[in-house]
Amino acid sequence: MTNTHILSIGFPAILASSVHDIKNSLTALRALLSQLENVYRDPKPTEFRQLEFETNRMNNCLMQLLTLYKIDLSQFSLTIDEHSVADILEDVVAQQSTLLSLGNIQLITECHDELFCYCDNALISNALCTLVNNAQRYCLSKVVLSVVQEDDYIVFCIEDDGKGYPENLISSDYKQLPQIDLANGNTGLGLFFTETIAQLHIKGDKRGFIMTDNNSQFGGARFKLYLP
Amino acid sequence: MAINLASKKILVVEDQAIMRETIKHILGSFGARFIIEAESGINAITAMRIDRFDIVLCDYNLLRGKNGQQVLEEARHLKLLPVNAIFIMVTCEQSQEMVLTAIDNKPDDYLIKPFNRQQLLNRIERCYARKKYMASIENEIDSGNLYLAIHNCEQLLQRDDKKMRLQLLKIHAELTLKVGDFKTAEEIYQDILHERELPWARLGLGVVAFFLGYYDQAVKTFQELIEQHPVMLETYDWLVKAHESMGNDEHAVSSLNSAVALSPMSILRQKKLALLADKTENFAVAKKAYAATIKLGKNSIHGSSADYSGLANVHLKNNAANEALKILYELNQQSHNDPEAKLRAALLETEIHQTKGNKALAQQAYGKVFKLNEQFNKQISRELRLEMAKTFYLNGNGEICDEILNDLIKTNIDDKLFIKDIVTMCNAIIGENHAETLIQHIKKELVDINNKGVSLFQEGNIKAALAIFEKAIAKMPDNQTIILNMIKIIIHDIKTSKPGPEKIMSAQSYINKAVQIGIPHNQISGLQIELDTIQHKTNP
Repeated sequence: MTNTHILSIGFPAILASSVHDIKNSLTALRALLSQLENVYRDPKPTEFRQLEFETNRMNNCLMQLLTLYKIDLSQFSLTIDEHSVADILEDVVAQQSTLLSLGNIQLITECHDELFCYCDNALISNALCTLVNNAQRYCLSKVVLSVVQEDDYIVFCIEDDGKGYPENLISSDYKQLPQIDLANGNTGLGLFFTETIAQLHIKGDKRGFIMTDNNSQFGGARFKLYLP
Repeated sequence: MAINLASKKILVVEDQAIMRETIKHILGSFGARFIIEAESGINAITAMRIDRFDIVLCDYNLLRGKNGQQVLEEARHLKLLPVNAIFIMVTCEQSQEMVLTAIDNKPDDYLIKPFNRQQLLNRIERCYARKKYMASIENEIDSGNLYLAIHNCEQLLQRDDKKMRLQLLKIHAELTLKVGDFKTAEEIYQDILHERELPWARLGLGVVAFFLGYYDQAVKTFQELIEQHPVMLETYDWLVKAHESMGNDEHAVSSLNSAVALSPMSILRQKKLALLADKTENFAVAKKAYAATIKLGKNSIHGSSADYSGLANVHLKNNAANEALKILYELNQQSHNDPEAKLRAALLETEIHQTKGNKALAQQAYGKVFKLNEQFNKQISRELRLEMAKTFYLNGNGEICDEILNDLIKTNIDDKLFIKDIVTMCNAIIGENHAETLIQHIKKELVDINNKGVSLFQEGNIKAALAIFEKAIAKMPDNQTIILNMIKIIIHDIKTSKPGPEKIMSAQSYINKAVQIGIPHNQISGLQIELDTIQHKTNP
């Protein structure tokens, strides 16, 4: 009896409209933040960095929520095309540029100029942004985002020099997913999202997948995304 | 690396003041000096009428009036955007892009909110780089020289630039489809699919099958594609066309209904659904779609008085004359300064009163139709003229009816679908064979003109032959045989006498016209090659 109202509009419409409103608020919030920032001289108060990180995270969460919801409804398909890997990395750096400018963290990207990848670039760069955003939070001084071709896969690798992933987020065998315990309020949503969209990238009998370990060449966490 | 925006005219369309302020601030920090703001779609169009902008950043979700897509459609329709301008649509989420994809009007790029300084700059820079790279193709497409566009595309492909390769191949395939070179298009799509299963290439193969008349195969391709990519709306549009061509109007309605459910804001799909549902007597669907079309039409360049009379006629068919009257009232509110709308309103009024049995009022309304027809009859669309012919016949004015029919047949003789509409109308209202007789008569007239022109040409009297065809084209601008012969004679004339630039330009413009009215590739490409050879000789 109580939900006839909701039924008449439909939950997808309610969700879409809420996302739209929150996005507008977030956009306005960030606009206000950048105006406020201009009031201060360098070095700017550290709170700005925290605010930038949080708004990034809210935005990423929202995008993931919406995408996963649509996948669940089977109203989703990838927009696959051939993309320059350098362009994708440039997008990630651009998205993180404000946060980077507010701290002392270095984001280093490494890839061959002539490297190309068949993927849904908006989704992949969104996933990478989320993971790099998190890596910036847990690293000491630097995050390295590198991409190479390994056999039939393009491999995106994010490494940092922090303390590494907690035990429950590690899985070096791609057949065994990281134990993401969303029900207990764990923060693995970014990994779960990336794993989900990686699996939607298919070529012949090969699917995309992710791997997580603490074998970063800088001593911290290492994340790898394989796309066929 | 940073692009300098100092010399660029930029329009920012955004309803939130704080966002406009921020975007302006960002653009200013990259040197932009000429920035105009608009907080609504109407103001955006006004601004574009005054200035020719290099960059338009337009929010999709504008609070009141037109949305971003409607702004884009109107700007393109009114040719307010220079060919090298970039239009970036700002949206809230990625999947909106797909749903927004209009039947033929895409922005140069999308930008997803929220974005920062660097993201905005990157987007503008990439757009510019791509536009610059593609300029030699886009400029030719813009002036209608499709064969030259294809040539330039092939030249760019030879540079073997990996970053642009797929984009170029996509354009190459689309252009070859446009000129009717289906074999080349098929080869391009097959090659791409051999490398990777890309949905747009698969769609392209379906389109090739459609144009070659393999409708079963086309339908199968489209249906499989929809199963895998349920939100790729272009596929639905093609599936609808394929069903229609096979005569499966019921299937077409159901496919179109799915597409409309995914993209309710697309006026062209709503309009098409209304017409098809009306034709197949799915009146409930038709009513809903007409109503949606009328609502969207208030802010769209695609809104038309035909939507009102369509809806009113559905009401009439369902014996709801009073509902029809309400629509007529609304139409009259909108019809100032639009002769087509006035005519439709008068026609509708006549029909409503006839249905209700008000003879005097019907006669009075018919008087209006008669007067308006004298005033505007050549300025209105052919569909409406056909309706008028019917009304004239039904009111005992067979002479005016035939006059209109003759003119319609003459100008549309090669358009099989429209000729079929004429025949259907005549068979239902006037009687069997009426349309056929008119058509035969006009065909004979055409053959006579053509023969006369050709024999003058064979006698060597090129000037007289050209004059005959020129006169015929003025009367029947879209006739395929006449245009083809005209091109042949001009080319012969250039070859035998002095090849002046004016003659070459004239031949090229008729070739462009031939492509535009759908003359098959195999009949045009030889003429284009001949003309290219001549041109090459004159300016090597």
